[in-house]
Amino acid sequence: MKIFPAISATLLFLSMSNVFADVTGRVFVTNERSNTVSVINIDTLEVESTINVGERPRGIGISPDGNEIYVTASEENKIIVIDPESLEIIRSFSAGSDPETFAVHPNGNIYISNEDDGKTTVINPKTGEKVAEIRVGLEPEGVAISSSGEYIIVTSESTNMLHIIRAADNTIENNILVGARPRAAIFNQVGNIAFATAEISGEVIKVNVESGKIIKQASSGDSNSKPKDILLSKDESTLYVAGGRANSVIVMDADTLEIIKKVPVGKRVWGLAMTKDGNMIFTTDGVSGTVSVIDTQTNEKIKTIDVGEFPWGVAIHD
Amino acid sequence: MIINKLLKIFALILGLQMHSISWANEMNLLFIGAVNTSSFLGAKQGLTEAELMGEFLGLHYNLDNVSINDLNNIDASKYTVALLAINDPITFTNVAKTLKQIIIFNTALTNDSLRENCINNVFHTIPSEKMLQDAEQQYRQKYPESIAIAQAWHHDFVKFAARDLNKRYKASTGKNMDDAAWAAWAAVKLVTDSTARLNSTDPKKLLDYLKTSLLFDGQKGSDMNFRETGQLRQPLLLIEDSKIVTEAPVRGVSNSLDSMGILSCKTKNAQ
Repeated sequence: MKIFPAISATLLFLSMSNVFADVTGRVFVTNERSNTVSVINIDTLEVESTINVGERPRGIGISPDGNEIYVTASEENKIIVIDPESLEIIRSFSAGSDPETFAVHPNGNIYISNEDDGKTTVINPKTGEKVAEIRVGLEPEGVAISSSGEYIIVTSESTNMLHIIRAADNTIENNILVGARPRAAIFNQVGNIAFATAEISGEVIKVNVESGKIIKQASSGDSNSKPKDILLSKDESTLYVAGGRANSVIVMDADTLEIIKKVPVGKRVWGLAMTKDGNMIFTTDGVSGTVSVIDTQTNEKIKTIDVGEFPWGVAIHD
Repeated sequence: MIINKLLKIFALILGLQMHSISWANEMNLLFIGAVNTSSFLGAKQGLTEAELMGEFLGLHYNLDNVSINDLNNIDASKYTVALLAINDPITFTNVAKTLKQIIIFNTALTNDSLRENCINNVFHTIPSEKMLQDAEQQYRQKYPESIAIAQAWHHDFVKFAARDLNKRYKASTGKNMDDAAWAAWAAVKLVTDSTARLNSTDPKKLLDYLKTSLLFDGQKGSDMNFRETGQLRQPLLLIEDSKIVTEAPVRGVSNSLDSMGILSCKTKNAQ
């Protein structure tokens, strides 16, 4: 009787180690203007390779098994699939009109904003088939998925809402009216709290996912601050907000939403990604054409890396 | 027969109740002006967008229209907001003063005197003459030979989210968005968004909100609010040979939206 669970645990371990690809320790950065993806080595913090992809690459994400990197080629209305090991383009599939930002669900499906159509499309990236379509507000942009996969948040920039979607049936459960031009969101680990940025009102908003109510909102700094991407530290005490034209990453207390520090990075910082251990943050500084690396222990910039023109999105294969 | 009558009364009561429930979540807007104008198309575009927002929040927005000559024939008390697209400042002032219990948006007149006069219930989404002149002057400080003219909007504007608004306006009207259309769109959009945030259509509360708390995204990259004159602070575009040459405030000359136009009232108007 005791052996059985041990065997199944071993089997589970074996099957998991079979499923998960070896991590490459590479940071992938989309360059909107250069039509390329820069590949940065996470140990040397140098660009080791540049991949030519389709026109206007923006959103980027990784499959749950780590075997595939997804990049939207917005002008070509498709998603390009890159092998993180060989850096070859494996295939591509149609992603609806003007695909920009997306997130990958733990079940492997992609939730993508179609800005022109006011909808979120769910796509199975293995087959390229459309699984579902969810009607949302005008100019849908940011997509966030809770780690359990239960909820998805889509921001609609011109309807000023966070749409909280239940993954089980892909229907909207709550709509939260927030500050002008909400751009990105992130869940806490449990998935009951989410944080979002509003670009035009220059705010960070903390919401209760289940009640659909705003818990707190605060300014993200001066009038230059047009916040975009947002990250939560591993211990969930600290928020990191890409300050846009403030040319800095704004470090905030996740409880009080008070600004703790502004870390100067390159110009028009939009994209953010954190290593799995939570120790480093990579930023895309659009106008500067650089990626900045921040040490989260000290909240100091430790490196600036030249990439292509108008770096947009960043994902870490670690 | 009696049962039928009872049913009818019951239905009537039910109907009244339903009406009273929906009333709290309903807002009526009145467009005053000619309907064959881009002002009206802009207002309708704003309404379409408000209705989509309303769908998600359980709110309803109605837009009625009336010509200036028929204004006396309608009951204005059911409206929270009136959008005026009329070309005569004297008529405009008379209408604004007659409808002083509701909120008025000027979407067409550029007269600076209307801003200086600071009528309490009046807001202007269209830029004033001096705003346009100041924007042009800023550009000429950099390029003295330029004949660029300032506008609120242009159909080729793509930066920020202008591309998206231009696209959806073109798709729904078949026309290019111009200044008048943008100004009417902006008025409907900002006022419907504000009532949803306030969760009230009470004109007094709304007036206070618009004067003190507005942070509006006019799809020109800046957050917008109103000056004490009732004028919407906004970036402008400089157009030469039908092409956008730059935005104002002109970089290197000024970075403040208040570098354009009149900032304060001629006489403090407490009314």
